Amino acid sequence: MLENYTPLLLVFMLAAGFAFLLLTLSHLLGPKVKSAIKLSPYESGVDPIAPAHVRLSIKYFLIALLFVIFDIEIVFLFPWAVIFKDFVQSGSFIFIEMLVFMLILLFGLVFVWKKGALDWD
Amino acid sequence: MMTFAPYFLILPLAAFAIQIFFGKRLPRKGDWVSITAVGTTLCLAIAMFVMMLFLYEPGAKAEQSFEWFNLGELSVKIGVLIDNVTVIMLLVVALVSGLVHLYSVGYMKDDPRYSRYFGYLSLFTFSMNGIILSNNLLSIYMFWELVGLSSYLLIGFWFEKDSAANASKKAFLVNRVGDIGMFIGIMLFFTATGSFLFSDIFAGVAAGALPLPLLTVAGLCLFAGAIGKSAQVPLHVWLPDAMEGPTPVSALIHAATMVAAGVYLTFRMFPLFTPEALTVIAYVGGVTAIFAAIIAVTQNDIKRVLAYSTVSQLGYMVMAIGTGAYVAGFFHLTTHAAFKAALFLCSGSVIHAMHHAYHKLGDHDSDPQDMRNMGGMKSKMKITFLTMFMATLALSGVPFMSGFLSKDAILAGTLSFATHHPEHFLLPLFGFGAALLTAFYMFRLIFMTFYGKPAKQEVLDNIHESPATMTTPLIVLATLSIFIVYTLPYINPFSDHGWFTDLIVATNSVVPQHVNPSAHEIAEGIHHAHLPAMIISLIVAFTGIALAVVIYLKKKFSAEKLAKNLALPYKLSFNKFFVDEIYDRFLINPTIKLAKAVGFFDWEIYDKYFINGFGRITERLSRFIGITMDYDVLDQQIVDGVGKSTRFFGGALKFIQTGKIQNYLVWVLGGIIIIFIIQAM
Amino acid sequence: MFIPELILVGSMLLGIFADLFYDRKHSFRVGHWIIGGLVVAALALYLTPASESITLFMGTIVADPFARMFKYIFLLTTTIVILMSLRTDELKTVRTGEYYLLIAAITLGMFLMASSVDLIMIYLSIEVVSIVSFILAGYLKTQVRSTEASLKYVIYGAFSSGIMLYGFSLLFGLTGTTKLFEIRESLAALDGGTLTLTVATIMIMAGFGYKISAVPFHFWTPDVYEGAPTPITAFLSVGPKAAGFALLIRVFNTLFTGTDALTASVWQSLEGLPWQEVMAALAAITMTLGNVLAIQQSNVKRLLAYSSIAHAGYILMGIPVLSQSGIYAVMFYVVVYLFMQLGAFFVVITIKNKFGTEEIEEYGGIGFKSPYLGVIMAIFLFSLTGLPPTAGFIGKFYLFSAVIDAKMYWLAIVGALNSVIALYYYMRIVKMMYLQGEREDELYMPSKFQSILLAVLAVPTIIFGVYWTPIADWIRNSLVFFLP
Repeated sequence: MLENYTPLLLVFMLAAGFAFLLLTLSHLLGPKVKSAIKLSPYESGVDPIAPAHVRLSIKYFLIALLFVIFDIEIVFLFPWAVIFKDFVQSGSFIFIEMLVFMLILLFGLVFVWKKGALDWD
Repeated sequence: MMTFAPYFLILPLAAFAIQIFFGKRLPRKGDWVSITAVGTTLCLAIAMFVMMLFLYEPGAKAEQSFEWFNLGELSVKIGVLIDNVTVIMLLVVALVSGLVHLYSVGYMKDDPRYSRYFGYLSLFTFSMNGIILSNNLLSIYMFWELVGLSSYLLIGFWFEKDSAANASKKAFLVNRVGDIGMFIGIMLFFTATGSFLFSDIFAGVAAGALPLPLLTVAGLCLFAGAIGKSAQVPLHVWLPDAMEGPTPVSALIHAATMVAAGVYLTFRMFPLFTPEALTVIAYVGGVTAIFAAIIAVTQNDIKRVLAYSTVSQLGYMVMAIGTGAYVAGFFHLTTHAAFKAALFLCSGSVIHAMHHAYHKLGDHDSDPQDMRNMGGMKSKMKITFLTMFMATLALSGVPFMSGFLSKDAILAGTLSFATHHPEHFLLPLFGFGAALLTAFYMFRLIFMTFYGKPAKQEVLDNIHESPATMTTPLIVLATLSIFIVYTLPYINPFSDHGWFTDLIVATNSVVPQHVNPSAHEIAEGIHHAHLPAMIISLIVAFTGIALAVVIYLKKKFSAEKLAKNLALPYKLSFNKFFVDEIYDRFLINPTIKLAKAVGFFDWEIYDKYFINGFGRITERLSRFIGITMDYDVLDQQIVDGVGKSTRFFGGALKFIQTGKIQNYLVWVLGGIIIIFIIQAM
Repeated sequence: MFIPELILVGSMLLGIFADLFYDRKHSFRVGHWIIGGLVVAALALYLTPASESITLFMGTIVADPFARMFKYIFLLTTTIVILMSLRTDELKTVRTGEYYLLIAAITLGMFLMASSVDLIMIYLSIEVVSIVSFILAGYLKTQVRSTEASLKYVIYGAFSSGIMLYGFSLLFGLTGTTKLFEIRESLAALDGGTLTLTVATIMIMAGFGYKISAVPFHFWTPDVYEGAPTPITAFLSVGPKAAGFALLIRVFNTLFTGTDALTASVWQSLEGLPWQEVMAALAAITMTLGNVLAIQQSNVKRLLAYSSIAHAGYILMGIPVLSQSGIYAVMFYVVVYLFMQLGAFFVVITIKNKFGTEEIEEYGGIGFKSPYLGVIMAIFLFSLTGLPPTAGFIGKFYLFSAVIDAKMYWLAIVGALNSVIALYYYMRIVKMMYLQGEREDELYMPSKFQSILLAVLAVPTIIFGVYWTPIADWIRNSLVFFLP
């Protein structure tokens, strides 16, 4: 059953092998000259001004996370809204259900708010 | 009644735990903890006793079993059995234990390990109750061992004394010998019937699970445990040495209760014994009775006399069971518990007084237990004298005392047995002979201790009666030696008919093929032999007492001259028939020699090879090439090599854990691929 | 019904609410709320009928006696861990309000793990447990090794979950459904595509193996266990592991067996899928590696981590034997393992609080300085080794007898040899405590709370070694799986 894929395997091996071969050959055959200038990071030809590691503020990440959570909440609201009309006739269960869901996430929002994750400081 | 059963176990056990862990820090060192525990069990026992009397049903029985563990096919059940016998035994144990606790408050005062002593007493009570309440051989065995342990701890309580430490070891080891037989017996019954419960075993045997010869063997193996625990010949050697323990301990364990455990077990297992087994049991008992009685005649240590007397009386009980009069044996167990405990506690009182007298006089060499140092104490220790006298009357089989009734019943049993099997004429001979000697040596004890002139007058001047905590138990126990306690509601001092014989009835044997006589036949025989037995026993008792009076009170014949004239019997008796020496020479020394030889081989040869390194091995190798090379290579490769390679792998493999997450992930992928490849193969 | 889980959610919400009102010093009070919630959940669980066996949420979750038993185990573990956390000095520097909330969340995840019968639900529950564990492992933000542990855990966990998910997707591709019981029927009808099935099985095994720390998927264990706060280590070594085993049993017995695995007493695996030999081999390697590596350790926490890997190996032995007695043995061992592992870790916590060390070398003389701790630690170590009369012995006995019944003698021999190796490093701690160091005059007795908790863990360890019939009966009654 897998015999049909043999040519594919061959091509794959060929391509990978070629790349591998080139790299190995250059490593073995090329001149090895190390100097301080060569090993420093490239920054358009000038000397590096700042270290390469940039520290990002974590608040960006937090905002992104909170966005995802509440966005998913909204995503869940969409299909609910679509079927709402059909189910609301048999009682308010469907409404209560979504209310509970949103309440739980509201708790989360209150928590996040009080903990200060929404302060942009 | 079943609801009370757990308390008999939990209370003493809790008391033991509290005493051992916290005893030293409690006020009064916590003796009240043990006394409360035992006192409560005593109240419960009395309550159960009263309930039993109300019910007045001879065959009353309450049993409850539960499954301890279940390993698929093997299901082990244990449980509790309460019938009239149990109730009486519980009462006996609780009563004697309680009185001993009380007595010990006075006797063991100022002992540095006071709290531990009470802890051990509680442990013993717990174990003994466990034996009594069991309805199966497995838990009897467990509690049996525990009782042996408690006995070891208590005999060796003053372990600074070498003699005490050795005595406790001896007790434990000799018991062990008997226990081996018992365990074999238990396993034989278990393999044949598939259960440890008494009821299952009885049913199984009745249905023919064991062929008769094997049944005899199994029964005798079980009895082996009783030989050890109840100090029958030839495993009696530990009991006299056990007198090294404190006297209350001797009273509790080695007179009234632990040694009775063997008799109790034989009593419970009576329906299982074939006639052959019963005959062996009867002879063991009979020989023990006369053997020990002969030795007791010449002993000078007051506790030794009582110890051998105990061995002799136990022989009586065992002989009773062997001849079929096993209810009589149990009766004697009960009465003996009371008066023997009384005798021991009285002797303790005497020794206590002697000890104090010597202490006051600054004499640390004389033996306070030697009767030759006593004399004339009648006037100074009135209560002790009176109670001891009453107990002696009971033991000697004088009418109006309980001992007369129980001994009489046993002797009737032996007489009846001999009448039906004339070839066993020795048994009644042993029985009556021992009775004569018992009366003799007991009154000898009384006369030497309480009558006559003291060996040293100053000693007698310093003797005084013991405190109330010590004399009260004496009074209680002596009162319990009067016949009427057991014969109510009848008051005939010559008949043992009473609540006891009404409630404790004999059951038929379950040995198949009707080889054993039925309970009815045995009772008939005993009934016929009753009168002749009573007459002979009265004659024999009075002869013994008369002899004692003549020799020790009136001093018509000198004891020393008699000893010289009957040199050989005297020597044999005084030296306990050299049994200990025989064991030493033929059993113990060869074993020690063998152990030494094996130890030498192990240490000098095996160990020296193994421990010293390659150099010595290579050296020896070059010297003993052929013989040792094989052994050596095997040992080095397997034992040493495995240990070393495990360490090596550990050391090598720990570098796999590099701490770099990249490596971990590679392992995950690699692992999957490797598993895939391997399973495809 | 879903009531216990709802109560857990409710207690979490309550905890969130309460946490807003506590200041940093008192934030541990949230733990008390959570314990209350756990107790109520346990009560609710007790009130559900013991023999009910139903599906919920359109056939993705079942509530059957098997799950019920594991839920009790989780509740007990969590309660004990929370009690442990309330008393450890490590956590006094950080705000612990969220900590307790997260523990409640992980319990909910474990509940779901024990009850899932749908591939997506399985993945979801594993992720809930994993992600919350990541956070908890790195809770001590200021300590380097805690953050390192957490990061490694995240990367490793994500990777393994990914592989497992790939296995699930292959399975889905083969059968067209995610519900376990429907997959089982499709697999029975399948006769092609065995290669795919094998690859999928191995990948799923990799994912589960990560959760129970089986070799070669155990590499995260020593780092994470060493770095996490000790109560979390204790928790991770018992709770998620037990949940992983529950899931393993359910999934493998539902999917990859021929005859009625969930009802018969002995059964066969699926044709052409020799997963039980693979699993047996994994079990053997796991125990060996765990034990051998533990010998070299000098840090008690790390040693206990490796020993928990070894224990995972022992427990894993009970599954490839394909018999009810094997599953019974696994469940029994999990119960027993709970007590001894949590107990051992709690002693480590107590010693760290008082003597400030986790190195074995510095445990010298603790047996004399604190007899109580010494004795209790000895009890737990004896039980972990598997010596009678402790419960560990009974657990191992059942495992070995199940293995021998299935005639996998080599596995039993490996197991026995491993127990011997384990004896060495466990007894080394005991030796350190009692045979080194000198007697001191003032004895240290842990606080009342700690002593009681230790006793509560130690007493069952001994009692179940002598009288384990109640547990045996409870487990036997719980060995009922839901069947559609």
